[in-house]
Amino acid sequence: MNPKFVLYFAWYYGFYVIKRGPSYLLASLSLPLSLLFMVTIFTHGTLIAFAIAGGPIAIVAANSINGAADAAFFRIQIRIQDLYVATSLTSQDYMFALSMSYLVFSLPGIVLYAILGAYFKVFTLSSALPIIGLLILLTLAISNLSFIIAGLLKHIRNVWGITAILSIIMTVLPPTFYPFYYLPRGVIYILSVSPVTPAAVLFQGILFPKAVGMYSSVQLPMFIILIVETLVLIFLGRRFIRWRE
Amino acid sequence: MIEIKGVSKRYDRHLYVLKGVNATLKERVTTIIGRNGAGKTTLVRILSTQLFPTSGTAEIEGLDILKDTKKVREVISSIPQESQLIGILSPLEQMQLYLMARGFSSSQAKRESEYALDELEMYEFRNAPSDTLSGGMKRKVFVAMALAAKSPVIFLDEPTTGLDPLSRIEVWSAIKRLSSKVILTTHYMEEAQELSNEVLVIDQGNIITHGTVKSLLSTFDGKMRAEKLEGREFDIKIANVSIKYIDVNEVDEFVRKGYDIKRINLDDIFLSKGVMLES
Repeated sequence: MNPKFVLYFAWYYGFYVIKRGPSYLLASLSLPLSLLFMVTIFTHGTLIAFAIAGGPIAIVAANSINGAADAAFFRIQIRIQDLYVATSLTSQDYMFALSMSYLVFSLPGIVLYAILGAYFKVFTLSSALPIIGLLILLTLAISNLSFIIAGLLKHIRNVWGITAILSIIMTVLPPTFYPFYYLPRGVIYILSVSPVTPAAVLFQGILFPKAVGMYSSVQLPMFIILIVETLVLIFLGRRFIRWRE
Repeated sequence: MIEIKGVSKRYDRHLYVLKGVNATLKERVTTIIGRNGAGKTTLVRILSTQLFPTSGTAEIEGLDILKDTKKVREVISSIPQESQLIGILSPLEQMQLYLMARGFSSSQAKRESEYALDELEMYEFRNAPSDTLSGGMKRKVFVAMALAAKSPVIFLDEPTTGLDPLSRIEVWSAIKRLSSKVILTTHYMEEAQELSNEVLVIDQGNIITHGTVKSLLSTFDGKMRAEKLEGREFDIKIANVSIKYIDVNEVDEFVRKGYDIKRINLDDIFLSKGVMLES
């Protein structure tokens, strides 16, 4: 493990993209903020807390899945991955560094939602720690999924289309912006094929324990599913990254 | 020393890019010359542990590229031909990352990066986002990475492609000052002749000749190259240009026949071996 590289890469590739390319940041915020607006209007404000709670999940998931474009671009197009292969760096270092850069890139959005959440009394200080833990877990799971997708691609041309589709499907379909208990239990399990679903269910369990109430029995299975999915995706991500071809 | 032992690479069922290459590279600077698709980059990628060979192996400073990969990666640095900088990051940031990936501390990485960038006249651009640099400048940043890494063995895959003549001379000068063993690939014969002690000519996955520049040129001792557009006498014909290798005492005769007379250089090794193979 090369933590120095991971930290510097995460900071450089996370922070300098925000600083030198702010349009990317605005693009990553546009979908969750638009959905927050729509959910608020259509539910006359009754589900605003859920739409705020879903914001950080959607931002982290979308930024991490967009990592497939980066990973493919770095490997196929600009061959930066090749440069790092012939160093002491391991594939895990490289993947972890990329994953952490997506988390850094997501920070302004998370802070924005934290402010909104504090204003609308959605987030509390006591919920901060499990929420941060969940967001890190979700970043690892989705970014490794993105490395698998990137590894399967032979050409760069389709990657942006694929990530755009996946980003919308993975952030809008799961119960990110609406209460998970609106869905039949079976559908929740079907949707949990995407790590965003268990993360969203757990998020809502932490933030709205009273509202979740009698549906809280899905929390433990969702936690197990998220952990297992993250581990499986990390394992597969290492296989698909094509470190030494 | 680098010892290549029967290295083959097959991409498809029948597409062999390298066909059992054997060579021992002893000199400080070795240049691999070959046409596009000859197998130069594949060989460099295999030697620098980026690509697995289909069969065979190689030893770099006594370390096997398959068995001692981790140790090999500690003694080499490799600048791939098609690598480009990440546009949003500056040269200094990317060099620091590269050196930290090689185990440098952050302060050491910064110091060495600045020094190498300065050496290649790139210091004033160190903090500019890379997408504002010209193609040649970007290429120089990669060469600076290799210089700053100070590895015992450096692989440079076409390091001067796209550079203007002045930048090319700067890169040459930096390579000459290195104490590392350098393996470089190039299309420029002038570059190979200027920099290398040893040349490996590769064509269609085979080594067609290998030796020191002096020994390779000695096969043409007492010869000159005569060139003419649509000349009747030729050893090699490329497009409409007829090339004939003549004895020094035939020079006057061929001048009268309208041929241009040129000194022998590495072009001739490549032309005589490579082109004749194809024909």
